[in-house]
Amino acid sequence: MKLSRFTSRFYVALGIVFLVAFFGTLGPLLFTGKDLTTVVGGLYDAPSGKAWLGTDNLGHDVFTYLMYGTRSSLIVGVISGLIATFIGVVVGTVAGYVGGAVEETLMAATNIMLAIPQIVVLVLISVALDSRSVTSVAIVIAVTSWPWTARAVRAQASSVRTREHLDIARLSGANTVSIIVFDVLPYMLSYVVMVFVLQISIAILSEAALSLLGLGPSEGTSLGLMLHWALAWESVRNSAWWAFVPPTIMLTMVAFGFLLLQSSLDEVFNPRLRRDSGRKRRKRIASARTAAEAAEAATTSGSGA
Amino acid sequence: MSEIEHEGTPHATRRQVIVGAALLGAGAAVGGGLLTGCGDDDSGGDGATTERQETLYLAGWQWGPPPSWNPCSPTASFPVQGRQMQLIYESLFMFNLLDSQLEPQLGASFEQEAVGITVKMQTDAKWRDGEPVTAADVVYTWDLGQRNKDVYWSASWEYLESVTEVDEHTVLFTFKPDNVNPGMVKTAMCETWILPKHLWEDYEQANPKIMEFANDNPVGSGPYTVKSGDAQQLIFERNDDYWGKGVRGKLPGPKRIVHPIFKDNAAGDLAFERGEVDVMQQFTPQIWKMWQDKKKPVGTWFTEPPYYIPGGMPMLVPNTSKPGLSNPKVRRALAFSIDYARIAEQAMSKYSDPVNSSLILPKGSDAQYFDEANVAEHGWKYDPEQAKKILEEELGATKDSDGVYVLPDGTKLGGWKLQTPTGWTDWQTAIQVVAESAKKVGFGIELDYPQANQLTPNVQTGNFDLVLWYIGAQTTAATPWQRYRDVMDKRGTLPIGQNSYYNYGRFEHPEVPALLDAATTATGDELKKLLKQLDTIFMQNAPMIPLMYRPLDFFEYNESVWSGFPNEKDPSAPPTFSGAGMLWLYEISAK
Repeated sequence: MKLSRFTSRFYVALGIVFLVAFFGTLGPLLFTGKDLTTVVGGLYDAPSGKAWLGTDNLGHDVFTYLMYGTRSSLIVGVISGLIATFIGVVVGTVAGYVGGAVEETLMAATNIMLAIPQIVVLVLISVALDSRSVTSVAIVIAVTSWPWTARAVRAQASSVRTREHLDIARLSGANTVSIIVFDVLPYMLSYVVMVFVLQISIAILSEAALSLLGLGPSEGTSLGLMLHWALAWESVRNSAWWAFVPPTIMLTMVAFGFLLLQSSLDEVFNPRLRRDSGRKRRKRIASARTAAEAAEAATTSGSGA
Repeated sequence: MSEIEHEGTPHATRRQVIVGAALLGAGAAVGGGLLTGCGDDDSGGDGATTERQETLYLAGWQWGPPPSWNPCSPTASFPVQGRQMQLIYESLFMFNLLDSQLEPQLGASFEQEAVGITVKMQTDAKWRDGEPVTAADVVYTWDLGQRNKDVYWSASWEYLESVTEVDEHTVLFTFKPDNVNPGMVKTAMCETWILPKHLWEDYEQANPKIMEFANDNPVGSGPYTVKSGDAQQLIFERNDDYWGKGVRGKLPGPKRIVHPIFKDNAAGDLAFERGEVDVMQQFTPQIWKMWQDKKKPVGTWFTEPPYYIPGGMPMLVPNTSKPGLSNPKVRRALAFSIDYARIAEQAMSKYSDPVNSSLILPKGSDAQYFDEANVAEHGWKYDPEQAKKILEEELGATKDSDGVYVLPDGTKLGGWKLQTPTGWTDWQTAIQVVAESAKKVGFGIELDYPQANQLTPNVQTGNFDLVLWYIGAQTTAATPWQRYRDVMDKRGTLPIGQNSYYNYGRFEHPEVPALLDAATTATGDELKKLLKQLDTIFMQNAPMIPLMYRPLDFFEYNESVWSGFPNEKDPSAPPTFSGAGMLWLYEISAK
């Protein structure tokens, strides 16, 4: 794949995602000296040299919390994204490739899961959990967010199934697992990558929604938890903007970055959606026209003969 | 080819993100309450100004539609629930937080003797239906508490031999000879709503389970009547024929009292700041900003920290049956490791002084019993080094690889779950401070915020490690004695697994019962001596750890419409809604 196929949109998206990831992973290593239990001031102290983004309701440094919060949100996103994509792809591929009763059963289960609103299941499971770590929150989100992936992947798999190269694979004696792994999956890989990116973004938003309700991780912090406490302590009424604006911006950046990445990847994988520069597009349209004219000419001359 | 198959997918996938964003939005709406606080406005329409000037908006007591108006029920609506505001039903006397005196209400005066208390009643007191309030009603009310063990005033029978009618307007409360406790009887006289016998005899006959009776049309002796109550607001109208007009010379100021039902504190605080609520009982972070920064006509009792008069102490309750927490030295080490000043400053938004290691309030009517020297000698304060010293030198504990101490017998001082109800933001923040500062010393504490109705039975049955909870005794005619009973008396509690309503941690000490019994009737210097002994035992054993002082009610007012609310400079009534607090209703007037 030549690098020229990537659009500028892709680089912007990648830039945002990398920026956020650097902030969350390397930030705590660069800006040392404060951790989650360090107290730098009182209840909602305004930003100062001591605390760049002010303090939260417990006198913690908001900037430090933002770094660790971003980190937890990313961890939740990646773990949940991996698990949800894995479940979705396995269910979808097996259903789509094997077909028959297996497909009916798996899709029935998927449709039932799709019919139940995700937030309801999320809240119920989270309430039932005794203590919630970042990982367990990620898993809870993952087990509720795979169904749409399964459905979309099934459609793809059942179309790939009818391709001719699979007949050759079958004739040469490959078993089902090997066919799925080596002959079906590679044809859907571009789609799976996009699904993964999207699942990360959904998981981060779901975690924020859960945390806002007070059902987030019970240890550490996350962007959603920061918002939860900012609301509980009425920072909005007291105009302590530093308590709720930074996590909101960070959350928007994360979700926007991944969404942009997904849609620009879509363009890379799907030439029809590609948006070139005007000159290139004109060139392509022109060449298409020439080809059409040539074909027409050929037909005309053919009929004339 | 593959492009064609991709065609439909971007839509589907983008929709998922939109769903994700919508989930977040739903979360914000449910959890946050950013969008609330509007829509309760019914003061519009013609003649709005005069109607607004006749109406007092009051908030902070009721958070849903009224379940019932039955004062027996623990879930009854404001204000008929026990220990709330005496608008509909009234008690014999009203406790005054400012001077610990009993103000006359249905009772005019009382006389305390060795055998009991004789109460002279107001002679012109009347029920709303015109019938006179007599001694028979009082006797009937206490009898009802004897027949139904689940009504809240039935506990007073622990200290009462009988309640008898001497004449039409005189009642005799006879002490139980083996359990004489005038303080608890006086508290019961202040907290028990007197019910009209002529109506409730029929109610009781029609409803074998009196707790489930709805009492849709409550007939009381108080100055207000229930006009309506729904999911939006409760409305009470003044009864202009109120008997108290003759005794007090005037009627309460507001013709109408409206209690809007808010979704949460944030919504109520916003309405209060805008002057849509005149007076309320809500925890409002940084309330001083309303008058300092925003120049609103808002006030609390003091204009300086702690802004409110302390009335109680929420307690960190260790379960003394759990390994590790059963050891008094471990509990003391835990007490030394907590940063009380930070709890007062941040979790309580400066509404508390840093708490002392004593069950006696250092301010107000308790102050005469507070012994600073004794607290300094036997008590604890925030001192992590001392906590480590106790653990390492006195107990021989060593730190595990995860930084948590382990006792020589292998008991780990960690894995404890510290709980408090979700939504009680000040307490949730307080236990965050506890966990943070205890962790720095070497205790392993996890936090958990269950629903209040889930946690309450667990606290009562002793199914917890550590919990931040209130003790029944705040400030009453029976405190500080009652606080010692609630914290240290094992008698009257049931074993772990069964409900107990005080001493949730099941603490036991051989000297406590005798001291408590002696203190019930003691007065003056003798009482001081006994309380000092009890306080010393408390400090040496740390059966509970007070985390903060909390006002009886968070009393805050906005003088946009009404003025004359009590404060430090104009102490016309105590800053409460319960007890004698309702007397400020007679002092306020519309601008």
